[in-house]
This record gives sequence, structure tokens and C-alpha cells, in this order.
Amino acid sequence: MTGPAGPSRLLPVDDDLDTGPFFAAARRGELALQHCTACGLLLHVPKAYCHRCGSWETDWRVVPGRGSLLTWTVVTHQVHPAHPVPYTVVLVAVDGCGAHLVGSLPGRPELATGQPMEVWFEHLDHGVVLPNWRPVAPHE
Amino acid sequence: MDGIVRCSHDTVYAHDLAHAIGVPQLTFWSDVGPGGVAPAAMVGQAVAAILSGQAETVVVFRELNGRSGRRYGLADAAGDRVGGAGTYDEFFLPYGLLTPGQVFAMLARRHMAEFGTEPEHLGHIALTCRERANANPAAQMHERTMTMDDYLGSRPIAEPLRLFDFCLETDGACAVVVTSTERARDLRRPPALIRAVAQASIPDPQPGMMYPILMRDSLTELPAAAVARTLWSRAGLGPGDVDVAQLYDCFTITVLLQLEDWGFCAKGEGGPFAASGNLGPGGSLPINTAGGHLSEGYVHGMNHVLEGVRQIRGTSTSQVPGAETCLVATTPLPPGSGLLLRSDG
Repeated sequence: MTGPAGPSRLLPVDDDLDTGPFFAAARRGELALQHCTACGLLLHVPKAYCHRCGSWETDWRVVPGRGSLLTWTVVTHQVHPAHPVPYTVVLVAVDGCGAHLVGSLPGRPELATGQPMEVWFEHLDHGVVLPNWRPVAPHE
Repeated sequence: MDGIVRCSHDTVYAHDLAHAIGVPQLTFWSDVGPGGVAPAAMVGQAVAAILSGQAETVVVFRELNGRSGRRYGLADAAGDRVGGAGTYDEFFLPYGLLTPGQVFAMLARRHMAEFGTEPEHLGHIALTCRERANANPAAQMHERTMTMDDYLGSRPIAEPLRLFDFCLETDGACAVVVTSTERARDLRRPPALIRAVAQASIPDPQPGMMYPILMRDSLTELPAAAVARTLWSRAGLGPGDVDVAQLYDCFTITVLLQLEDWGFCAKGEGGPFAASGNLGPGGSLPINTAGGHLSEGYVHGMNHVLEGVRQIRGTSTSQVPGAETCLVATTPLPPGSGLLLRSDG
């Protein structure tokens, strides 16, 4: 959400023909990724055609909102006013489906490769909802 | 001269250059991209044109105003909405992942986690390039020496990468002339013979320019491994035959990954290999002998081609004695290309 003093966050195009369903699912509070209906291959990033089996039949499947941390960077040199430093960009391997998804955290949190992560849904301006990732709280 | 090859990211078109230097008639031109993976492939296009009779002599050039024009370190985002239309930027930019340096920082962190690579390992690559630049009067960093303490003390940009892990911003231009061996032997300067060229996409290519590289199962292997297989096969030579190498160095980690993927050391051992003195004069693999992108200047890999020619001619400011074989590796990501130059001996 827009802070009182800061510029608006960068918003994704969330109605693209190929990728829009990812953001539509997020508006419903779901993490969904495209799969080939015929052979079951994960199609991420999303596309209309399965490069493995040649099918044009695809569907969007809800996947676990859990994953593990693959890598991250702490950004300390600011390149865009919508993203004040420091902040941390994370790359998460989603459990059970082989997808890698990006998330971001404010500041410089303590992180470790392989640690469990969970999805949350960040409500931005203009009704845009962004699936984002954070560490699973230690007490869980 | 009757042919021109340009980089698809260049702002000068083939007819612009033909006009500027007074070429009466072009019979061949070609656009090769993208960006930093193009240079060796651009030379390859010139070779193909000459061997197929479409041109006799081809100029291969790259110019960019990386400081006064488009600055490559700035955010990719323009406007309020990002992504769509097959860019896939919507999966990356809204999270603040906005520059190549941030992507390579994530690859570096992963390499550190998998293999124990340390900042000092990357520092040795930065220092190697700086020392070669200190010997090269044409390098941007010619008069600026650097110690490991300077490197480690430089400000973080995208951790674990710091300022001196990043290449320079440069206004510059480079060109090479490619022609038949027969004709080249008649010219005043000794030729650098093109032993082999190769292009390769990353296996199982991703769409999009750069960020989807993070979707790959392996975050520590670049397309260089595929380019290397093709180039070594075509050349009938291997890593052990290389006397000196010019390795694409948009960042120090890019060099480290290429040392492994080109087969100069095993996967995971790039750090210790770089830290053991292999990359300097007298080492097993002197690299980036003009200073590279890290310390000579950033002309998107074409300055690496020029320095490869200098090494074969014996005119480098950090000449490797008796150098007969030079690798030019323009293999950052997502695809890549490579060039093997040999002396006419």
C-alpha cells in the first residue's frame, strides 16, 4: 500500500492474457500456477502452449503456499524511488511443484538457505494483489 | 569493406556506419544480439558471410554511451505498470528485482551457499582486472590501484556483491575487421586467425530477457557450459590449450561461473582457482589482460574481442609471452557465444 510520504509501489500488469490468471488467483487469496492439462508439466513462466507435449490445453492449479529459500540479495544501492533501500529480494522454491517465485522483504532480515517460507498476499493500489513470501514464524 | 555486423542493442545502424566511413556499397549486414552475449557471435556472422560469398571484408562493431546515454545500472522499470506482453517482468520487477546486478547477486549467494565461495574469491577477480588496467594506458582505471582491503571495504550494492564486483559505466566504441585468411596475410599487420566460433542457447531456454534465468533448476551454471562444448568440439582444442582468455565480466561472479563452465576448473572450485594466482601473469590462465569490463571499460564484450586480437599479435600491454591461443568468452546469460583465436604460425 502507498505510504503517506513514499511513492507508489511498482505495479504489475495483472491482466495479461498469459499471466493474468496468476494475479486473479491472488485476488481470491490463492497461489495458482499454470500446468499442462495433457501431460501435467508445470508451465512457469506461464504460456499458452506446452513445450513438452505440444498441447494447447492448460489449467491453473492451486499450489502449496509453502516453500524453501533458494537465495536472496540485500539491495543497498537504490535504483527506483518505489523501492527504498535496504530491502531484500528472495527466491523461493515452492513445495511440491518445482516452481521458483520471487518475493521481497523490507530491510535486512536474518535468512538462511533452505529455510521454510510461506506466501502472503500483499494488497497494492488499484486492487492489485501480489503473492509475496516471508519466513515461516519460528514458533510454527 | 562490403559488410557490417552490428549488435542489436546498438543505436548506430549498418547504413549509419557505412555512410560515416564512406562505404560505396554494402553487400551484407547483420544484427546480432542480445547485448553482451553477441560479440563472439557477431564475429561468427562475419565468418559466415565471408565463407558463403556474401561479403569479402566485414567490420564488426559495438558502440555505446553507457555513461552519458542509457545507464545500464538503472532500474528496468519505466512507468507505473511493469510486465506483460511476453516480458514476464511482472513476476520480478514489482518485488524490487530491477537490475542485472541484483540477479547476479542472487546467483553469487547461491554459489556461496552450495560451494563455500567467499567474498575474497571474487575480490581476486576484481584485483586481477584492476592490475591489468593499471598497465593499460587506455583503461578507465589505469591510474587507480586497488588492494584487497579496498575491495572488501567498498560499499555494498546488492549483497553479497559490492561496488568493485560491478563493471564500469563507459562511453566507448570498438571494431574489428574480419576477412579471408588469404587476404589477411597480405595486410601490414599479422592476422589473428579464427579457429572456431560457437553460439549456444542455455539448455531448455527460458522466455524473457534475463530474470527468468532464476526459474532454472540450477542457479550456478550459465550457458557457457553449452557454448564451451560446441566451441571445443569445433576447434579440436580444449581448456588446456588456451594460453590466455578474455572472459565476459559484467560482474566478478560472472567470471567465476565461466571459469567453471568453460572447464578451467571443476564446478564449485572457481573461487579457490581464482584465489590461487591462476588468473595473473605467469598463471595457468591469464584473463582480461586489458582490464576487462571491471577496470578497462564496458563496451559490451567487444573490447574483449579486441584484446584477444592484441594477444595473438603480441601487442597487449599485459602480453602473455608466446601466446598462440586466446579464448574470447561472451557468455553471461541467458544465451552465449565464444570465439577461439590462434596465431598464424
